Amino acid sequence: MTLPEGTLPSSFRDPAGYVFRRDGVLYRGIRAPGRPHYDTLMSSGLYDELVAAGLLIRHEEVPASGDHPDDLYKVIRPEEIPFVSYPYEWSFSQLQDAALATLEVEKRALARGLSLVDASAYNIQFLRGRPVLIDTLSLRKAVDGEPWTAYRQYCQHFLAPLALMSLRDVRLGQLLRVHLDGIPLDLAAALLPLGSRRRPSLLLHVHLHARSQKRFEARSIPAARRTIGRHALLGLVDSLESGTRKLRWRPSGTEWADYYEDTNYTREGLEDKRKTVEEFVAAVRPRTIWDFGGNVGPFSRAAAASGAHTVSFDIDPACVEKNYLRVRAEKEGNILPLLQDLTNPSPPAGWENEERMGLFERGPAEAVLALALIHHLAIGNNVPLDRVARLFARAGRHLLVEFVPKSDSQVKRLLVTREDIFVSYTQAEFEKAFGDLFEIRRRVPLKGSERTLYIMEKK
Amino acid sequence: MTHHHALRILAAGLVLGCGFAVVTAAGYIDPGTGSYMLQVAIAFLVGIAFSVKVFWKKIRAFLSKIRSGKKGKDVDAA
Repeated sequence: MTLPEGTLPSSFRDPAGYVFRRDGVLYRGIRAPGRPHYDTLMSSGLYDELVAAGLLIRHEEVPASGDHPDDLYKVIRPEEIPFVSYPYEWSFSQLQDAALATLEVEKRALARGLSLVDASAYNIQFLRGRPVLIDTLSLRKAVDGEPWTAYRQYCQHFLAPLALMSLRDVRLGQLLRVHLDGIPLDLAAALLPLGSRRRPSLLLHVHLHARSQKRFEARSIPAARRTIGRHALLGLVDSLESGTRKLRWRPSGTEWADYYEDTNYTREGLEDKRKTVEEFVAAVRPRTIWDFGGNVGPFSRAAAASGAHTVSFDIDPACVEKNYLRVRAEKEGNILPLLQDLTNPSPPAGWENEERMGLFERGPAEAVLALALIHHLAIGNNVPLDRVARLFARAGRHLLVEFVPKSDSQVKRLLVTREDIFVSYTQAEFEKAFGDLFEIRRRVPLKGSERTLYIMEKK
Repeated sequence: MTHHHALRILAAGLVLGCGFAVVTAAGYIDPGTGSYMLQVAIAFLVGIAFSVKVFWKKIRAFLSKIRSGKKGKDVDAA
């Protein structure tokens, strides 16, 4: 029979199993082809080892109920990921940590006679601040002498984008949004600087790899061919690991990363704002928060202190990077910094536009923060205030939003190079536009500025 | 592990880096012929590099053991 109702559109490719949601709970069905691999994973001790190391999602076996294919072997219920994110939303270090986690899983798997059958970046998610493999069925019994099946995928999903971000331009990570199976290696090789060939790992795994793909294009693997030994396989993973680890990117020189060191906020104003965020969160008690324009995350942290899972979105890769490095250093498990351009949010993508969710399909959040953001959308991007209100109404139920008037130096800065066509950008118009969709519960004028914070709830 | 053991790993890397056999590619992910053949081609190289690395680590561990032994520290901790 076909897969049961509620099967996620991201899991139809693998004959060994499928992921489905029933009564709001996520499950994974394991079918006959996945049985020997799953049993080996569980009996070899690898599952326990990886879960203990925080590298693999924890699951429990549950009785199967409802309709399933005839060859169903078992149903497992994995721990839920609070917010599913994608590699084109990660900062450099998030992608690098996801890459290293993949290789660590492969190393530990090889030691116990298993191997990752794929190395898709989409199989990694961030849980409690750290990357974790979510595809339990991607660990299969290793076949003696067989090269690493996932080698191409690792290079396309991780090594090539990281090399491009590190050695050419961090914004090239966005190529992953178009190339869902990773950046084609011939494209990466063409875009990388010449000097990248001096790095042995990039020379081998990107440049020569691209040439090898071209040479063997549309040719099958020879029937009698050379195989590689276990030691060489460990060498391959080690080479990928050192190549990945050596890539660096330092966030500096971007417009926003030093924002809080370069604005007219008074200490008092910032404190006032932080206090209002805390009061808002204490009153609403949301379990999920989206902080739009989160910068390096000062107010995400104020909000996350309540224990709510907080996604801190920003358009600037340097901000997201700095935010993530802090999350990692401080082990802040309930903050997830992500790259997001609100004027062009992550779209639904992949097969039938259903494999990867758009931003709004992953919501709504219970509460939304939009601090020092409105003027960038309304004036910086010519978005009418009623459309801004509509976007926030889609994003979540409770809203804390800051209105920044034209008299504010930051807005003046936006208008300095252009004609002021924004006659309706006034506080009264703002209240009218938002008032159509939200109840305005509270207004908090910010000390030391002409800005106002609004606490609102969707009608 | 002694440095003799490390030498054996180095030799194993040289010998076992690649061999001849017939196997079939399994799994639902296409490894890609070019990616497959490149791994076979570089197996020897990455195998050697890995052996040298492991060997070098052993030498360093051995030296630091001697040094810490001279300083009268707990050698078992090395």
